[in-house]
Amino acid sequence: MFSTELVVQTFISGVMIGVLYALMALGITFIYSIMRMINWAMGEFYMIGSYLQYMLVAFLLGPDLWWLAIPISAAGVFAFGLVVQWGLIKPIFKKPPEARDDYATVVTLALLLLLRSLATGLAGPNQFTPGSNLPIVMVGPMPMAGARVAAFVFALVALALFYGVLRYSWYGLALRATSQSRVGVQTAGIDVLGIDRVAFGIGVALAGLAGALLAPVFLVFPTNGLITTVKGFEIVVIGGLGSIPGALIAGILLGLIESFGAAFIDSAYQNIYGFALVLLILAFKPTGLFGERGREA
Amino acid sequence: MSSGQVWALETQGLRKRFGGLLATNDVSLTVAPGEIRGLIGPNGAGKTTLVNLVTGVHAPDAGDVRLAGKSLQGLGMHQIARLGLVRSFQVTRLFGNMTVRENLLTSFLARRSLHSGDGLALTDSMIELTKLGRLADTQAKKLSGGQRALLQMACGFMVPGTCYVLDEPFSGINPVIKDSIIDMIVDVNRRHGATFLIVSHEMSIVRRLCPQVTVMMEGRVAAQGSLDEVARLPEVIAGYLGKALE
Repeated sequence: MFSTELVVQTFISGVMIGVLYALMALGITFIYSIMRMINWAMGEFYMIGSYLQYMLVAFLLGPDLWWLAIPISAAGVFAFGLVVQWGLIKPIFKKPPEARDDYATVVTLALLLLLRSLATGLAGPNQFTPGSNLPIVMVGPMPMAGARVAAFVFALVALALFYGVLRYSWYGLALRATSQSRVGVQTAGIDVLGIDRVAFGIGVALAGLAGALLAPVFLVFPTNGLITTVKGFEIVVIGGLGSIPGALIAGILLGLIESFGAAFIDSAYQNIYGFALVLLILAFKPTGLFGERGREA
Repeated sequence: MSSGQVWALETQGLRKRFGGLLATNDVSLTVAPGEIRGLIGPNGAGKTTLVNLVTGVHAPDAGDVRLAGKSLQGLGMHQIARLGLVRSFQVTRLFGNMTVRENLLTSFLARRSLHSGDGLALTDSMIELTKLGRLADTQAKKLSGGQRALLQMACGFMVPGTCYVLDEPFSGINPVIKDSIIDMIVDVNRRHGATFLIVSHEMSIVRRLCPQVTVMMEGRVAAQGSLDEVARLPEVIAGYLGKALE
């Protein structure tokens, strides 16, 4: 029963789904690290990404051009994120009230309800699947749905791009500086609200990208962002809030634990194993694997 | 000085209230271009509040700040910084997880439009000037307090400003680094004609650098003149110095 082959298969599928979870967690943690707020509507940006992907494939581009639909969906969510930041988030930061993060929580929770109800109202409580023309692919010894493999590859490319911009571009330097001292960057002459806008856009675009990539796997419906958001937050707790390497490593860790739990314990409890890990982390390393203790504002 | 003079930095009737505390009350002061002015006074006199009002951290309840004759009303911190007003903080605001080099480079790139030049070369020369070479690739959070203060100052000097507002740049710093910071101030003042407003409790340095000092007490400007003049005033001795200066 514990054959090497099964272990390898389980490992591969765990890593593949973990990288996609990591996208979601990265979006949450990135927005937090720049703006010091949690975007509770993250799953709804995931949902919008999946709907965009479905509509593009079903009505405009056709299944053959699914790969073109993916960056367009992510870009659409990015643009929507810019509008949301401008209209709803920026006013909170412009004249900061006493409890800024409380306001941000209320605003993003309201946005969550609005977007979810809008999706139900516009598209109905139906499930859609964007057609995929991808064949089954052999990953090592294991046959896998082409859509999953494609999602994994796209996610890796997106992560590399994200890392490259953050590490090697001038804008990445400004983003990293903002995450460490919002007052400091303003003193240097950087428009922190402009940085916020782009950071919010990038963060939600990561969720949108995950939604577009996972649309053929987890389907498209108004509340499809819920489970990925929960996993995103699990990863953030495991990896440490605000830590980008933490999000990546914890994402893969979560994918592996779910995968191994499903294969070797019981697949019915797949969503429970991650919570067990969260509890362990909270008990023994409450800051997460890579998190830092609170720092001065 | 004629009444038509354009001051490098001018505050007019600045007032700021925090709850029941009137932190600055009708503060008007003028600093001439190229001057190095000291700002002294007891703790809680409103010096840092004044610095925060001048640099846009707080908006005043009343009054105005002018930089080279231009009102700063309604401008954000980054906009004021881009006009050439550079400040340092009492508690350094560095980018802790970034290296010394990255901190300097960020300060250059943020105001790149104000200064054409090679940021990397400038960074190298600043590292040499501050003798932080050994630590160039060390994260800023691992530096000592004095080294942080020095780095913060170096960041401010990466792109020459027109006016510097320094909040206690010398506190808790060893004599060697103090001298480095003083040298940098004098150098930028001489070479670029930059104006300085320096908050400090280090009377020997204030005497050395600042021909004129402004004394703040209880949110108001209490006196102004050379350090030796104001140090003879009974209210300054009673409220701040404790005894006459040597």
